Amino acid sequence: MNRFDLLNKIQNILKDNLVICNIGLPSQELYKINDQPNFFYMLGSMGLSSSIGLGLSLSQNKNVISIDGDGSVLMNMNTLATIGNRAPSNYTLLIIDNGSYGSTGDQRTFTDENTSLKDVAIGAGCKNVVECSGDETVNELSKAIEDQNNSYVIISKINSGNVQIDPIPLNPITIRDRFRKFIGIVKYL
Amino acid sequence: MKISKKIIDNLKKGGVDFYLSVPCKLLANMIDILEKDKDVYYSAVPREEEGMGICAGAYLGNKFPCIMMQNTGIGNSVNAIVSLLQLYQMPVVFLISYRGTPGEPVGAQGGMAKITEDILQTLRIPMLHCSSENDLEKISIFSKHAKVVESPVAILCDFNLMKDDK
Repeated sequence: MNRFDLLNKIQNILKDNLVICNIGLPSQELYKINDQPNFFYMLGSMGLSSSIGLGLSLSQNKNVISIDGDGSVLMNMNTLATIGNRAPSNYTLLIIDNGSYGSTGDQRTFTDENTSLKDVAIGAGCKNVVECSGDETVNELSKAIEDQNNSYVIISKINSGNVQIDPIPLNPITIRDRFRKFIGIVKYL
Repeated sequence: MKISKKIIDNLKKGGVDFYLSVPCKLLANMIDILEKDKDVYYSAVPREEEGMGICAGAYLGNKFPCIMMQNTGIGNSVNAIVSLLQLYQMPVVFLISYRGTPGEPVGAQGGMAKITEDILQTLRIPMLHCSSENDLEKISIFSKHAKVVESPVAILCDFNLMKDDK
């Protein structure tokens, strides 16, 4: 299973929740599978999906899923300490760990060598850290969303490989405003 | 404490209700005030760039965020400012302790001080430079300006203004 397959499998969970999606191919694949206003596509700032989702979950009550990658979490690893100390119960971090920098040509990341993001997350103080296969991810993500009392970090171990897709045609303000309209903040659209 | 209290009062008057900090000794009193304030959210964060991401999320969730940091933190955050906050036009207040300005005892702080305003100018970030207590009155309207123009803005607080705020 690669990222595109996994994103397809979890569509039914994503569609009812606020989703922050990592820059590059993850966002492009998600857009291609099923574009929705409650999906915030990152067009820059690699590494910050988990942080954007954390800020969002601290600011309102709806469930938030940050879709991140192993390369991006390695770039902003302090985020796991902040999540371990501050994440509210409506926050779930889904790290799609394929051991490679998918958007830049599938170069290997350190999770394909010695680094375990599960161990790092636990050491950083994160509660409910789950490492699972792609197939198990649907079930684990459902459980995380249904649990109203705890935040989760799910590390989904899948194969590398991408589907080649065009860049997202939406402009950033459209992504921003329709997302905030979905939450109920923007009234003018 | 008087200066720090005035800064926080003016930020709150400007609508800021979500605060992060990467600590600086010049920000210590403000952090004390915010930790006791039940009306706003406050947390420390390990790194400024990460804080920019959390501020972006807080804005999406209808908060008006501020990140407090040393001017060195701007250097750590340039890409996040440009390709997240500015790309999506997100108002965030940067409350910056301006290390390396006159009065600073640590020579090594001078390097970032020399280029801080140049970086902010290059990024086209509106700046409010506070060097005296009177300047602090401008903070609330300047914060509101961030929302009007949908942009991050920077408030620079000189070393000498902050250092004796016991």
